[in-house]
Amino acid sequence: MPDASRERRVTLIRPPALSLGGVLRDFAKLSHYRDLLYTLSVHRVKVRYKQSVLGVAWAVLQPLSLMLIYTLIFSYIARMPSDGIPYAVFAYSALLPWTYFSTALVNSTNGLVSHADLVTKVYFPREILPVTYVIAALFDFLVASIVFAGLLIYYNVQLTWVALYSFPIILVLTFFATAMSLLFSATQVRFRDIGVAMPLLMQLWMFASPVVYPLSAVPKWLRPFYMLNPMAGIIESFRRVMLQREPPDFTSLGVALILSLVLLAVSYIYFKRVEATIADVI
Amino acid sequence: MAIIDLKFDHVSKRYKVRAERDESAASGNPILRKLQSLARRSQDFWALRDVTFEVERSEALGIIGHNGAGKSTILKLLSNITTPTSGEIAINGRLSALIEVGSGFHPELTGRENVYLSGSILGMRRREITEKLDQIVEFAGIKQFIDVPVKRYSSGMYVRLGFSIAAHLDPDVLLLDEVLAVGDAAFQAKCLQRITDLKHGGKTIVFVSHDLGAVERLCDRVLLMQRGEVVASGPAREVIAEYQRLAGSFTASQPPPVQAGINTRRVEIRSVTFRDSLGQDAPAFKTGGPLSVAVEYFAHERVEDAVFEVFFYAGDDELHCQLTTESAERRIDVEPGGGVVEFSCPELGLQPGIYHVDATVVQREPLEGIEWQYHCAMMRVDPGRIVRGNFYMPHEWAIKKEPVAGDAAPEGALGQIVSKI
Repeated sequence: MPDASRERRVTLIRPPALSLGGVLRDFAKLSHYRDLLYTLSVHRVKVRYKQSVLGVAWAVLQPLSLMLIYTLIFSYIARMPSDGIPYAVFAYSALLPWTYFSTALVNSTNGLVSHADLVTKVYFPREILPVTYVIAALFDFLVASIVFAGLLIYYNVQLTWVALYSFPIILVLTFFATAMSLLFSATQVRFRDIGVAMPLLMQLWMFASPVVYPLSAVPKWLRPFYMLNPMAGIIESFRRVMLQREPPDFTSLGVALILSLVLLAVSYIYFKRVEATIADVI
Repeated sequence: MAIIDLKFDHVSKRYKVRAERDESAASGNPILRKLQSLARRSQDFWALRDVTFEVERSEALGIIGHNGAGKSTILKLLSNITTPTSGEIAINGRLSALIEVGSGFHPELTGRENVYLSGSILGMRRREITEKLDQIVEFAGIKQFIDVPVKRYSSGMYVRLGFSIAAHLDPDVLLLDEVLAVGDAAFQAKCLQRITDLKHGGKTIVFVSHDLGAVERLCDRVLLMQRGEVVASGPAREVIAEYQRLAGSFTASQPPPVQAGINTRRVEIRSVTFRDSLGQDAPAFKTGGPLSVAVEYFAHERVEDAVFEVFFYAGDDELHCQLTTESAERRIDVEPGGGVVEFSCPELGLQPGIYHVDATVVQREPLEGIEWQYHCAMMRVDPGRIVRGNFYMPHEWAIKKEPVAGDAAPEGALGQIVSKI
């Protein structure tokens, strides 16, 4: 290696203890492993599509088929209101961020357990595993967005400058998805019940968010509680800026942002606590 | 004063082991039972107790001991896979573990993609991997297959590529497990050469192995671990001799650290003793020399048609040979009480080395394992009859009358060939 004279850093390994310095050191380590984050994320995307015939089309098929089903059920059969927007594009505008969130969470929950062989043999910052699933889901989200663009053109929905709010909205969503992924994947190590409960939980969570129905259909008295679900504020805001040419509801989005950041900090610390003994338990 | 590259400072590691479920007290309801098991107090198991040692720069330290003595816990702590319960470990510089080859390989990805994946998992930067890619592929000898998915690789190619990535990590401190036992003989020699080069290049090495021969060749200093504690430390030759003295024959008064598998306690193996031709306990035996093995047992009840067996494993845990009482003509019906089964071998066929010994009792009909003392004793074989190959085959020889050149009627095929020349 050319830099043979590189300086040696002294690493200290101590019993796990919570300290600000410890968290900062963890971040420094994570930064050293950023190439692994990149390689592993690319790998997730590659492996997922490598042996499937339809390849990347799967990223589109999932929200697209859900949209068709929901349109059939909720628009033609149940006559669900959709704030005057064609139901297909109404549903897709919510399924797009929702699928991003649920794909990230479902895949990352199992992320540590499914890499047990690696986790017990090699050290790397473990949070990389769940985070790569979030990144891979973000990639799917971008691919599925192409179809969204097609739908917008087809239904002749004009975008205005407020659509640019979608970027900070997706950022908040990414914070929240990462926080939940860290929390769930770490908990799954000890309690495999989480993984089993996942399909049911995601189903309930989706119906607790304004995906197949508009927020306006939620009774007024219920809304303060309803909006405590960060996904409610995120999805509603995304739909407003994309379809209704209105700025996002800053109150609910703000609540989602604060909740996401607090959860991110808490779940990161929790994750690192679990990480210390993960190889003994997994 | 020498630079210390690695330091264990009063390190202890405790594992929590949940106590075995007590069948009689357990509730019939599975959910209740689960909750009970969660509430149950777990027992502490100390894998390491107050371990302190230092490794100087460019020193090679070997760590030896029985299974369960704490060797792999030290490796896990050093490579940061798990954290100590108390104490502190200091590592000066970049540490890499050559522990498991092929870690993180994905079968669908090509060799090249897996080099990047596995390399980054082991802590290499992409730029660094790109620089070393040619060397890695060259060393593994799989150049023409680098863009083929690794699921199409033979197991040999897989292992070679895995080792090659790890061997190019360029650490300051290198951890080695039983990795030398990969691939074919030629590749093993190459690996050993690579490690020797690293050592001469000034790397600090920690080597954990059962292969005492390899430890003695590679290491300057050796730690002997027993039940989580360092019991001896010093020059390789002395500590290895001490280990052999401690762990020669096995006596049940000193229970083996690991009792794997079956143990119904109908028959207990109390001791395994090795003796030479004079019937005396000997520390070492010679290839081609006599050996007798005495297995002392105690039966709690009558066992019909029992078979006693003794297994010899080499350092890489490969079964080399077995002694057995199994035979078609004779059967052993073990009566309650004690007894000794003695095996005698007029000429020992094992090549020089250190062997781990298992002793078992099996009931033949119906087939049931009764007792298994896993790696309970150790035997050293010193050079005696020097032969090459995997084992010594007892043989005699004699010279027959040579056909005389020019004889009219040469006898046999050999004679004919000779006469044509």
